[in-house]
Amino acid sequence: MKGVLLAGGTGSRLRPITHTGPKQLIPIANKPVIEYAIDDFKEASITEIGVILGEQGREAVRDHLGDGSQFGVEITYIVQGKPLGLAHAVGCARDFVDGDDFVVYLGDNILNKPITNFVREFQEGEYVAGVALQHVPNPEQFGVATLDEAGNVIRIVEKPEDPETDLVVIGIYLFSPQVFDAIERVEPSARGEYEITDAFQILIDEGGPVHSHRVEGWWKDTGKPEDILEANRLILDDIRPAIDGTIEEGAEVVGKVDLHETATIEAGAVVRGPVSIAEEVVVGEAAYVGPYTSIGPQTTIRGTHIENSVVIGESTIAARETFVDSLLGRRTKLESKEGYLPDGRRLVVGENSRLRF
Amino acid sequence: MRIITTTCSNCGTIVSGTLLEAERLLKCPGYQCHEIRRFDELSEIDRAYLIERATRIDD
Repeated sequence: MKGVLLAGGTGSRLRPITHTGPKQLIPIANKPVIEYAIDDFKEASITEIGVILGEQGREAVRDHLGDGSQFGVEITYIVQGKPLGLAHAVGCARDFVDGDDFVVYLGDNILNKPITNFVREFQEGEYVAGVALQHVPNPEQFGVATLDEAGNVIRIVEKPEDPETDLVVIGIYLFSPQVFDAIERVEPSARGEYEITDAFQILIDEGGPVHSHRVEGWWKDTGKPEDILEANRLILDDIRPAIDGTIEEGAEVVGKVDLHETATIEAGAVVRGPVSIAEEVVVGEAAYVGPYTSIGPQTTIRGTHIENSVVIGESTIAARETFVDSLLGRRTKLESKEGYLPDGRRLVVGENSRLRF
Repeated sequence: MRIITTTCSNCGTIVSGTLLEAERLLKCPGYQCHEIRRFDELSEIDRAYLIERATRIDD
């Protein structure tokens, strides 16, 4: 069994954060999203991983993952280039897969539970493919699966107006090598892409069977800023507290806090978990870091209150304001306007930014 | 859809034919690899297919 990890896409819904880096490297609880997928592969004993790169951000992903050895896996890069659809991306992995069964994992997805059971069920059966599914309240926004009495998939419809079920396809698939012949017969969809759902339908129409697996626990596609915040919240809910850094006398720290050994919480600061604080972070006097916040490396916070937020890193946060539900990109400066005239907020805001005053 | 790929003899990185058709020449995108990847790596039949396909999409 091999793994194919998709790390392409433009990340357009995450601009301006993705103007300067791929969405798969955005940290959730101070760990890039893509590393959660690698952890899941390892947990399922899959260590040969093909990482599919697109047009944008491929150097950043490659430089982060390297040859995979630092993560205990072996990585082969597969460069798709132009985004021609998921079926094309998977088709590019044919030589890497080399006749094995394989798991496809969208690199911006996070699962609460490992994929081990899904992989085991697939290996124990005689399936040509498998899809991970989840019940959602808004199925019309996803690929919707219909199952037969045995629980096998008989139909997948992409974003139907009138969904037959509330079971939707999430970003984890299992394939036998038969999928490559199906992909060769996929025609471009109305949006001009080669859709993986069409490859599934070909496999189903030719007798399948296609296994369905309902994921346990939560699943998040981290495609939008609010998804990043929610995934951060979900991960922090299960965080293991580890106070390895310095807490000065006069600082108040309560709840589950993961404090890096090089981070400092200074006197007069308040931190209430669950919170993740990365390396070389200083939480200074009069700062409040509230629940469900992750502070990325080399960030200094003084005088600011922040809660339910993600600070990616290398930032200076010193405005005497309260920030909630915020996603702050790398090298952000939030400074005090005190001492500046005329009174007013001074902004340097990138394209596609969103501010609420 | 025929998907054409080629593999770097040095690092094993796989590159799609559509990317090579578009760029014609590129430094291997593999990790710490310095090979030059060329459209000419592909067979004449594959190159003709990719050029025909790209022309069709452009039209």
